[in-house]
Amino acid sequence: MNRKNFITKSGIALGGGLLAPYILPSGRLFAKTGSVKADHVVLVMFAGGVRQQESVLGRYLEDSQGVTGAAGNIMPNLFEGNAPNKKIAYGTSVAGKPNGSEPIPKLLTQSMEKSGLLFPEMRAQSAGHYVGLNTLLTGNPGTNQGLKVRPAYPTIFEYLRKHAGFKATDTWFIGNGIGNSTPLLNSSNHKDYGLSYGGNMFAAPVTFSSAGKEVLGNAKTYTRTDLEPMYFMKNFLDQSFALTKDQISSVSNTDEEKTQIKDFIKSVFAKQQAGQLAMPPVTDTGDAVNIMYAAEVLREFKPKMLAVNISGVDSCHSNFTGYLQMLHRADHITGWLWQHIQNNIPEMSGNTIFIVAPECGRNENPNPILDQNDWVAYDHSDANALRVWGLMMGKSVPNIRVGGEAQPVGRLTDIVPTIADVFGILDDVNNSGLIDPLARSLYQRI
Amino acid sequence: MPSFKLRPWFIYGLLLCTSACTKERIIGYEVDQVNVLEDKSRKTKKKNDAEFISILYTNLYQTAISPNQLYKTQNVLYSIGDQDVANEMLLSNYFNTSGITIPKDAVMRMDIDAFIISTFKRFYLRYPSEGEKAFFKQYITNNKAVTVEMVYTAFACSEEYQYY
Repeated sequence: MNRKNFITKSGIALGGGLLAPYILPSGRLFAKTGSVKADHVVLVMFAGGVRQQESVLGRYLEDSQGVTGAAGNIMPNLFEGNAPNKKIAYGTSVAGKPNGSEPIPKLLTQSMEKSGLLFPEMRAQSAGHYVGLNTLLTGNPGTNQGLKVRPAYPTIFEYLRKHAGFKATDTWFIGNGIGNSTPLLNSSNHKDYGLSYGGNMFAAPVTFSSAGKEVLGNAKTYTRTDLEPMYFMKNFLDQSFALTKDQISSVSNTDEEKTQIKDFIKSVFAKQQAGQLAMPPVTDTGDAVNIMYAAEVLREFKPKMLAVNISGVDSCHSNFTGYLQMLHRADHITGWLWQHIQNNIPEMSGNTIFIVAPECGRNENPNPILDQNDWVAYDHSDANALRVWGLMMGKSVPNIRVGGEAQPVGRLTDIVPTIADVFGILDDVNNSGLIDPLARSLYQRI
Repeated sequence: MPSFKLRPWFIYGLLLCTSACTKERIIGYEVDQVNVLEDKSRKTKKKNDAEFISILYTNLYQTAISPNQLYKTQNVLYSIGDQDVANEMLLSNYFNTSGITIPKDAVMRMDIDAFIISTFKRFYLRYPSEGEKAFFKQYITNNKAVTVEMVYTAFACSEEYQYY
């Protein structure tokens, strides 16, 4: 090799060596085109089917059961408005008093509506739970989405990992159980994205259940010295087996991330044992338990993006009183989670955007099922079930109310572009051509 | 002088005797005889959760898992996004219990070749390739801290073990 050739090739090799570490999985050299609005996003998928009437409209029993003078806001942490003063059944039960007659004290000094951005009248693209959850995470209406299969379109976790270069433990989905295909929501099966870009996931009430403790809780704590040979031998075996991309069946954490997750699981069991888990003041629902574990994940991993779903309000199919109680508790635990981030996670406090939205609404007209108070119940299948709201608060989020009952603004498919906008990858997400063409970042809707 | 009449059967018999097979020659090309074994590339079907758990349990405890235990384990593993993490923790949990049937470290060190072959057969239901044998022999020999548990963990958590 002559001198000129040598210098040319060395120069190329050196340049490649310097640039290669910054090439993203998407193949781009630099991470983002837009400005980053905050370092963290927490999305509360306020799911289960929430009627506008009892939530953002504060109508309590007046619209649903025809009880005159029984309007009022039962979600004081999220929305403004006075509480109802008639037929109180949405609170906790105290001995000697009627069931549900003690409302849970408001946690936040100022409601989210008063601190942030409220879209009181948005449109859902589906009246179903799984499709609705898909919409919240993929930005696609998902009209052909089947149950028991992963989302057909990429989730926000995949967009963020591919285009913003986030690592697996930067993105989390905390599901409230293993039913209804919930554990499949951390990744799509899209050929250009998929599990290798998927977020981490716990169906926390199952992972950290007594069965979870039995199956995982006695796991040894291996030292780094123990783990190195294991991973070295495993990696050797895997190299010679070499799975193709479509055979990958798990999220791609690095060995260090895996160790952190395992240590975290063990630490949660230890905290459980010692009664040291931080939890909302009222923790009498599965949703509250799920939010509690989401808070633990936030505290440990300080993820860039975490989505947590709750769904207790779905009891509305057959028990309206139970629905009101769940709605009131969902407000309580959502408020608690925001407060917990502000007070206990300094790395995220003041640097997080919090988004809350249901996955679908509920019907205008009731079904004939009566509960213990002789109140009728509601399913979700008509046009009213497409009426939803969206809330945003946190770093630099303006305090505005956009739209109203007579003037709907926003779609549930807006949530993904909004999160992409927060992290500066809105162009990548739009250019993928895989989200709803009518979707916009909520910042653009203002 | 008596005359002979050649009968057809005599002619056929004569032909048969003179055209007998020649003795087969054994030609060798200095290649040793080898046994043809199952190839790992033929494992294309992924074990489902229940298959993975019950095969692993049976492998380690040499007894079948109870349906109740299987159901619980399946649910818990399904609740974790990273299946490698879930499987590694499950395995580590098993290793922390009594009743597990694995060779002692001293047995492994006494005859590493035999240990490697038996481990491949136990987990992968095949013999190791020469490269695999050489890798494990060298690695185990050079790293005194490597235990049977570590080797078994690597195999049980490997991708090939997820397939059949």
